[in-house]
Formats: sequence, C-alpha cells, structure tokens
Amino acid sequence: MSARHQEQPPRPAGPGKKWIRVSKVVAGVESEEWVEVDDDEEGGEEDELAWPPRGEMHVLNRDLPRVDGPDKVTGRARYTHDVRLPGMLYARLLLCPHPTAKFELDLEPARAVPGVKEVRLVTEEETLYLGQPIAAVAATTPEAADDGVRAIRARFEPKPFAVTHEQALAENAAPVGKNGNVRADQTKGDLEAVESALAECDAVVEATYRLPVQHHACLETHGVVVDYSGGDQATVYASTQGTFSVHGEVPKLLGLPAGAVTTVVQHMGGGFGGKFGPDLAGRVACELARDLKTPIHLMLTREAEFLTAGNRSGCVQTLKGGAKKDGTLAALSARVDRLGGIGGGSHGGLPYVYAPRVSFLESRAVHTHTDGSRAFRAPGHPQASFAMESLLDELAYALGIDLLAIRKKNLPSGKDGDVWSRQLDLCAQLVGWDEHPHKSAPDASDAPLKTGIGFGISTWGGGGRAECQVEVRIARDGAVTALSGTQDLGTGTRTLVAAIVAEEFGLALDDVVAQIGRSSYGQANGSGGSTTAASLAPAVKDAAHNARAAFFEHLAGALGTKRERLACERGEILERSDSSGAGDGRRWSWEEACATLPPSGLSARGEWKSQLASRGTHGAQAAKVTVDTLTGEIRVVQMVCVQDCGLALNRLATRSQINGGMVQALSYGLLEERVIDPELGLVLNANFEDYKIAGCQEIPEMIAVIDEKDDRAVIGVGEPPVIPGHGAIANAIHNACGVRLREMPLTSDKLLTGLVALREGTREGPKRPDGAGR
Amino acid sequence: MPDPKQRRGPEENLSRRSFLKGSGVLAASGIASRAAAEPGAGLAWQAEPERLSGTAELALSINGEERKLSVEPRTTLLNALRNHCEPPLTGAKLVCDHGSCGACTVHLDGRPVYACMLLAADAVGREVTTVEGLSSGDGGELTAVQRAFCEHDASMCGFCTPGFVMSVTACLARKPGATLEEIKSACSGNLCRCGTYPHLFQAALDAGRRMGAGSTKGGR
Repeated sequence: MSARHQEQPPRPAGPGKKWIRVSKVVAGVESEEWVEVDDDEEGGEEDELAWPPRGEMHVLNRDLPRVDGPDKVTGRARYTHDVRLPGMLYARLLLCPHPTAKFELDLEPARAVPGVKEVRLVTEEETLYLGQPIAAVAATTPEAADDGVRAIRARFEPKPFAVTHEQALAENAAPVGKNGNVRADQTKGDLEAVESALAECDAVVEATYRLPVQHHACLETHGVVVDYSGGDQATVYASTQGTFSVHGEVPKLLGLPAGAVTTVVQHMGGGFGGKFGPDLAGRVACELARDLKTPIHLMLTREAEFLTAGNRSGCVQTLKGGAKKDGTLAALSARVDRLGGIGGGSHGGLPYVYAPRVSFLESRAVHTHTDGSRAFRAPGHPQASFAMESLLDELAYALGIDLLAIRKKNLPSGKDGDVWSRQLDLCAQLVGWDEHPHKSAPDASDAPLKTGIGFGISTWGGGGRAECQVEVRIARDGAVTALSGTQDLGTGTRTLVAAIVAEEFGLALDDVVAQIGRSSYGQANGSGGSTTAASLAPAVKDAAHNARAAFFEHLAGALGTKRERLACERGEILERSDSSGAGDGRRWSWEEACATLPPSGLSARGEWKSQLASRGTHGAQAAKVTVDTLTGEIRVVQMVCVQDCGLALNRLATRSQINGGMVQALSYGLLEERVIDPELGLVLNANFEDYKIAGCQEIPEMIAVIDEKDDRAVIGVGEPPVIPGHGAIANAIHNACGVRLREMPLTSDKLLTGLVALREGTREGPKRPDGAGR
Repeated sequence: MPDPKQRRGPEENLSRRSFLKGSGVLAASGIASRAAAEPGAGLAWQAEPERLSGTAELALSINGEERKLSVEPRTTLLNALRNHCEPPLTGAKLVCDHGSCGACTVHLDGRPVYACMLLAADAVGREVTTVEGLSSGDGGELTAVQRAFCEHDASMCGFCTPGFVMSVTACLARKPGATLEEIKSACSGNLCRCGTYPHLFQAALDAGRRMGAGSTKGGR
C-alpha cells in the first residue's frame, strides 16, 4: 500500500521468538516496525490463553455502558482543567502576533498588576511561527493572569514571512527556519513506466486536490496542573493521551528525581493525536512551580489552542491516473506537498489502498511560519484517501463505469481485497445503491434538489505491543481491582479494563473497579495509532488469568478441592466433578470464596501476549447527500460505515468511535479550515465562532456496522473510521449534480461556482450576454 | 512577499497598554449599570485603571443553596462557579469562553444559558442550577436524562457532556415528548468534538419517551 512497510523482519527470529509488525506514529507520521516477541503459541502452555469464541462471552463483545458514565453526566468527572489546589496560581501565555518577529518585552507593567505573582520570558529568540508563546504570567485568578498578559509592553520587529503554500514556494520566499522551505523526502516508483502506461490508457485524469489545515479542536485545551509547593514530592495532572509521555519528562523539569513525581490523567477532554508529552505549557508550568514553590494551573486559552497546539497538515496533491476501458487502474503518479507549518506534515501515501499496475510518488514538506502539524487521528490517511477516491471517481465517470464496480475492481488481490469488497457491498446495500439511478453518470436532470451517493475505503495498522503493565487484585471482601497507568481519552479504555477482568472472573462489569490514569499504577503506552486496546487488553487478560489461577490454587487448599475442578461464573465459584466422578459439585458465592483469602488479599500481574492481539483494519463508507442547485446548500443525509477492528471488546463504545470518526470526517469535509490572511499573516478564525465544527444540525442518519465476519483478536478502531468519509461526501456531491469539488472544505460557494461553470461549459455552452437560461 | 513593516505604524506597538485601559472601562461599566456608580467616576478610572481591581460581595442561589461570593465585578458566572465557589463547581466547562460551544450551559430560573456569557452579578436574585444540582442528594439518583446518557453511551471524552445534559434536560422539561428535530434545535448551541451525536440523540429521545410516559415535569 505504501513504501513505509518494511516487508521482511530484519533477521530470523530467535528460539521461542517471533517477529510481529507494529504501528507507530511519531510526530504525525505513521510508520511500522518489526518487534521480536515471545512466541507463546509455540510455547505449548498448559492453559493456552485466548479470547473466548464470540458467542461465548458474557461481558465482552457486548454493549457495555461505560463505567465512568455516571461521573461524566453529573459533573463529578474531574479533568485537569477542574483541578483546584490551595495557593494555586493560574498561568497564561503571551503569544507573538506575527508569523516571525524579533521582539523586546517590558514586563514591569505586568508585574504591577494586582494579583500577578510572576512574569517571565518563555523565549528570547526570534519567533518561528505565528502565535508562538513568548512570555508567561502567573497570577491568583485567571482574570488577573489575563490582565498581566495584556499589560506586558511589547516592541515587535516583524520579519518577512510565508504563511501560505504559494508564499513558501515563491522565488524570493521568506525562509522558514534554516534548512529551506522545501524538503523533498520521499520518492518511490518509476515515473517513466507510469508515463508510458498512461499513454496506453483509455481515460486519463490529471487533477490537483487541496485539503486545508484542520485543527484538533479538543474541547479541553492542552495543559497541566502542577501540584508542587516545595519539598520532595510533586503531582502533575495532565490533559494528555500518554500518562507516561508526560511522566517521563516532568521530573527533570521540576528538578526532582523520577520517583518523586506522580502523573495523573483521570479524565481528559479529547486529544485526537495532538496531546503527547508535557509540551511548552507543561514545561512552563513545571518551571514556574519549581521556582515559585506553589501549584500552577496552566491550560491554554482557546486562541492559544488554535494557534499553538498542532493541527492536521494541509495538503496540495496533483495526481495523474489512467484506466483501461474495463476500469482497471493502470497507472498513477502523484506529487504531494504537505503543509505542516514548521512541522513535516503527514500523508498516507499514494496509491492509497487501491492497486494500480504502476505508480510514482514524490512527497515534499513545504514549510510555513505557522504552528507545526502533529499526529491527528489517522495521520495523513484522510488526505491521501480524499485524492485517491476522488481520482478513482473521476476515472469511472470518464469511462462510464459503475462507481462501486471500479472500486471493487482495483482492490489489492487476495484476502484483504476480499474483505474490502464485502464491506463495500454491505455499504452499498445499506445506503440503497441498488435503487440509486445514477451509478455511472451524475444526475443531469433539471430538478433543483438532487441526491447523490459516494464511497470511500480505509486501512490502518493498529495492533499492539508489549508496553503495558497491569495488576489485578482480589480483596478479602470480594472487591476486584485492575490497575494500569493507561489513560482513557473517551474511547472507553477504563471500561474495557474492567470488562476483561469481569469476563475472566465470571463477574458483572460493575463488580470490577478499573483504576487507571496514574503513573504509579504501572507503565502503559500512549494512546496513538489505535494501539491502546491491542496493547493493553492482552496484558489485562493475562493479569486476570494469572489472578484467577492463583485464586484457584489458594481455594483448592482452603476449600479442600483441586484447582482443576474450579470454575467461576455468574458471581459464583463452582466445583465441577472431574472425569473420575470426584468432586462434590459444591458452589460458593464470590464473597464467600474471597473471605478465605489472607487479609492482604491476592494480586497478580500480567503482560502482553501476542496471540491476543492482531493488526490491520479494513473499512468502507458511503455517504448520501442532497444538493440544492439553487442555493448551493449541501446536506449529508446519511453516512454508513462498515468497519472491522478484530474483537470489539465493547460494541457500544466501538460504535461510538465509528460514529465519531464519521462525524469528524463530515466536519472536516464540509466545515473545517484554518483561514489565514496571507497579507497580514493573521489567523482569522482562532475561535469556535469562526472555526466551525459539526453540530447537531449537521448530523445525518448514521449507520455504524462492526464487521461481523472478522474473527481476529483485538486490533483497535480509533483511526480508521475518520479516513474516507469526506472523500465519500465529495464523491456524492459530484454524483448528485456533476460538480467535482477538488478543494475542501466542500462549501456552497464552491458548489455554486462549479454549477455555473458546468452550465456554461458543458450543458449550455458559453454564457450568453443576456443571461438567458435560469 | 508581504513585508509587515510597511503596513504597520510604530504607534501600534503600544496597543496592549491602551487595550488594558479599555478593558478596565468595560469591566467597570458592567457593574455600573447594576450598582449606580459615582458620577464622573469613568474619567478617574481612565486615568488610573488599577483602581478598578477590587471585589464585589454577591449572594447567589446555586443548586438551592445560598452561596456568598467575593468576586471582581467582571467575573463571569462560569468563572464564579468554577473558581470562586467552595467547593468549586467544575461541572460546567470553560471551552470557548465566547458563547459558541455550550459546554458551560447551566439553568437560570430553569432556562438554559451560557454561564460564560453572563456576569456573576447578573445571576443575583435568580436560581442557578448546574449539572451537579440535577440529581438528588449526594451522588444520588441519576435523572432520566442522565441515565439515558449512560445507557446509550452519549458521552465519550465527556467534556461537552454536562452542557448537553443541561440543554436536553431543559428541552425535555419544556416538552417531554420532544421530536428529534426539536432536540437537535435545543442542542444546536452545544458542540461535541468526539462525535457522540447519534448516541446523544438516542439518549434524549429515550429519556423523552420515559418522561413523557410518566410525569410531565422535569424528570428529576
């Protein structure tokens, strides 16, 4: 699918070992690497650890209301923003209002503001990007901190800048950093072979597709609260996707030994890829707390969140593709510019999923004086998918081929292709493709309100690796607790931890308490690349399995039976008769059995087992839109997603994730765009009035289907459902009215312009001076 | 290539200072309209903006309890709840601070309002209900709306959830059998980034059905 795969492990596996491929997202770029793990399947353990068959689970793979739901609906859930500590100061950052500037600050007026306790520079260097924080204020109230920031006197010497693609590539462009504005870092394939194959094609389409910079727009902004009042202990509350991505760095920033700091992530208000590590806010907060010896609350303002907390890189990609009469995609070349500001940007590679005979790709980072891109839910894939699905559609129309058929024809061969094909068929069925009259040409009627359907598909790695430590405890009073330092982004991690233990012990979900989000509970991976569930769940299962084994061992002695005869289900411990007829068939309630434990209870640890995780997702989506050709209004009326993710531990939360992916794709497709004034070098929509995200009125009927045919182990589902939705919507718009929107967001003004061009160009010829027609 | 130096006069460098003055006057006028400030005080304030700091003593009725707060006149109801109540009421969230996301929604005399768009002083003499005040007693029974939110998984990260709970609760209190379109309309001032909307609509419709079947009052 793309060049990032290293097809073979670096060397043969050692004895009792095997190689597995794992996903990794670093700074917004997805990659895969080979990791050598224990080959548990070969080990021939007496009690092979495996997920029960789908139909035999009594907790897992069902609809589970999340265990922290009651905390969230009552306001009891405490987020980092909500932490209040005695003596705590609120910190704010002064942002540079220019894309790049030298500056001098007079901090004295700010120090004189009542309530302000500290004002300091964050940097003295020339700034590199628009909105870069340059000073920090700490004060007794948020209002006083705002006053302090406003009171700083600043003298800026703005430098020439480049904030757009065109400005960055201009001949005399202002330099962004020291290494030039363009970094061509990926070339693959054979351009000559592509060109000669294109010459033989029956249809060739060349087009440029543009995607804007998208913001994560997490409702809880980035930030930390540092609880430190001097002394040798500190607690850091962080709104993060990785407890340990913060925990690994804050002790150093506080000048404390690693063991002296606890990092806490009880609840966090959205991350979507952009919240890893302490970040600038974390660094400043730790330094302030260290120096002032008082707790610091530093959460970004909404403006700072928009300007400095990362984004999905924009993209300008020119594709040239050719197909044979029968719809076979013969050749594809692509030139991709990734607009990641001072960051590298990301792109999922082209061709995306579909498999032309020959292809060529050149990908470059084009830098501007704007905030660096970060990982954002399926980094790079939504950009690649939009171009690929659009191009495929354009070829289908050029050849008069069914839009569903051309997709199925060009899938990779083999098992993966079969899965996508099956998923596309189900999507088509659910969206009503069979009855749809416009399968290979847009609706050319004069009806003012038209309906169209579009498709798209996705892929993602997901999967897990040995990164989580989990402990399961059984107390003498029957309480069961599972502990891990992992974090719940809203994906339902806390719930799946409890559910796996409940399943293993034959208990109900409510009988198990999952304690997560605290570094002292044990190492866990960050939630990136859809790897949380597949890394964590096997370790939870293993810990629960070990705890059960230890419990049965204990019970065998305490109750006078053999451990092999014991089983647990429905809150009871059962003694089964064995083959010799021995055993009394006794039963004890869970509490009775636990009462035999020593006062300290029982505890067991677990680690990741490769056979409990799988990798590699497939998904297909369809969108149905209506287009009002008089007003240009575009309404998405239905979205359908068929998604596999291995074992769906919690079906309800999995559907929530799938819905969420579709909603974000819809929002990205129709509404979202960072708008920069290219002359003034200002972001014009760094707030929720002007940066639009989908609200209730935009939400269509949504059908989220978990692919029932997937019998693999746990994979993860965070990223894939966000990938193909906006492409499907753009395709549906074209299907409805014949206007191809190649630039997102897909707005009414672009549609109306396209309708005019269509009427003048292809349907009614050049516009007549009297404006006759409509 | 734009060169910002050619467009901006040096006097703009002082704008932060003048903005501070301006913000002081604005803050003052907020309270002046309620508390009949001294005549001519505006001029003195412009000369010495620092004098504006200070606090007002307010008594607010929040979740049925009277709370005495000491806040600056410019303090929003949201900041009063989150930063000046003891214990703090942090259920209402600060997200946009501009009345565009609904995460801070509370009820004022039973009607949903954005707490970030009201001064604390504007809530004097009125009944404020926050998400913490919906369910009865200490960590008591969930309301029909809260239960439905849990059952249908209407929250993911949960940061928008208190605001949606308040909007749906107010909507269903007015009309227990609200339709999907009415629910969408009632919640169109609330944003969710995780995209829980489909489950949220199901929860609201389900709660509405349950409440419609029972009492026609607020579903407490």
